[in-house]
Amino acid sequence: MMRRWIAPLAAGLGAVVLGYLGTMWFTPSLVMDRAWIGMSELAGVNHMLHAPLSNAGRRGIVRPSPDLAYSLCPFDLGNGPVLVHAEAVPDRYWSITVFDNVTNAVFTKSDRDTGGKNADVALVRSGQSVPAGIETVELPDDKGIALVRVLMHDRSEIAEIQPIRAKSFCKVFDK
Amino acid sequence: MRGFLTYGLLILLGLAAGIGLAVMQVKGGLSGGGIANGPWRSAENVGTAKAGLQTRAVVAVNGLLALPDSEATYFNAKVDSNGDALDGSCHYLVKGGAIPARWWSMTAYGQDGYLMANRTGYYSVSSAMLDAASQNDWAISVGPDNMVTPENMWIPTLAGEAFELTLRAYHPEAKLLAGRATVPLPSIEKQGCPS
Repeated sequence: MMRRWIAPLAAGLGAVVLGYLGTMWFTPSLVMDRAWIGMSELAGVNHMLHAPLSNAGRRGIVRPSPDLAYSLCPFDLGNGPVLVHAEAVPDRYWSITVFDNVTNAVFTKSDRDTGGKNADVALVRSGQSVPAGIETVELPDDKGIALVRVLMHDRSEIAEIQPIRAKSFCKVFDK
Repeated sequence: MRGFLTYGLLILLGLAAGIGLAVMQVKGGLSGGGIANGPWRSAENVGTAKAGLQTRAVVAVNGLLALPDSEATYFNAKVDSNGDALDGSCHYLVKGGAIPARWWSMTAYGQDGYLMANRTGYYSVSSAMLDAASQNDWAISVGPDNMVTPENMWIPTLAGEAFELTLRAYHPEAKLLAGRATVPLPSIEKQGCPS
């Protein structure tokens, strides 16, 4: 009698493991897809949006830092390589981070790495080429998000930071 | 036929249980795992392909687009130093010293992970608010009203709402990265809850 149940119970246990691992595995890509769609509706694809400061009413991305000014670029390499430019903002932490479509940060550079100079990075798929002399990052998929963060010691500093960060951009390379 | 039904039912139940368990763990954040240091929880390899399956899913849901460890180390607290859940009606003193990083900030979030509405329009405090003499010994007031501390730093909370604190350490020093479980982190001391 008991032996009849062994195989079905084993299948059920296998399903528990499958359900658990599958959910864990697919969650990052599902969350990233949703974020990418939301951002691209706001910013446009391959275009950088200099987002207003986080507050209690803005609910785009969970756990935003109120101390950072965010500029974001939802990119799609389907139309060719994309250039991301981060304008240096003096005397503070700033960084550019590129996330692939499963939330992994595949590239990060901050003011510490550039010695306070601007940062440029070319995002490519395998086989795509860009002009020489630009740092290149190869992505595993077409879509992802580039994010520029600028630290504010006080939120009132946004007035001073805004015209500088407005020079940061992302765009498809000119053909 | 009955055998197929038994298999199908147990597989469906198993899938539902597995998915439910995963969703519970992901929504619970790092509170049930990760690196513990007093009331604070952290995780390794945040935001990178090296992160474990659970960390990646938890970070995607609770802190999408997080910086990698070398840029910023994140600590999150859902409880005070006595292990009691943080309550927006209560007053807390968060006391600490030097945090081995270039810059740090502390922010309060609602249980949904978003900033909480408050009458000040401020949501965080940072090391930039401390003068040189206070960097090694400071106290932050956390609660619905400001219990003025010598540094006059206050993180407002919403009475009646549970909340979480997130400590971000930017450009952490090697000893912080290597010692997340042991490096001294701020204590979170409940002062009282007005009835």
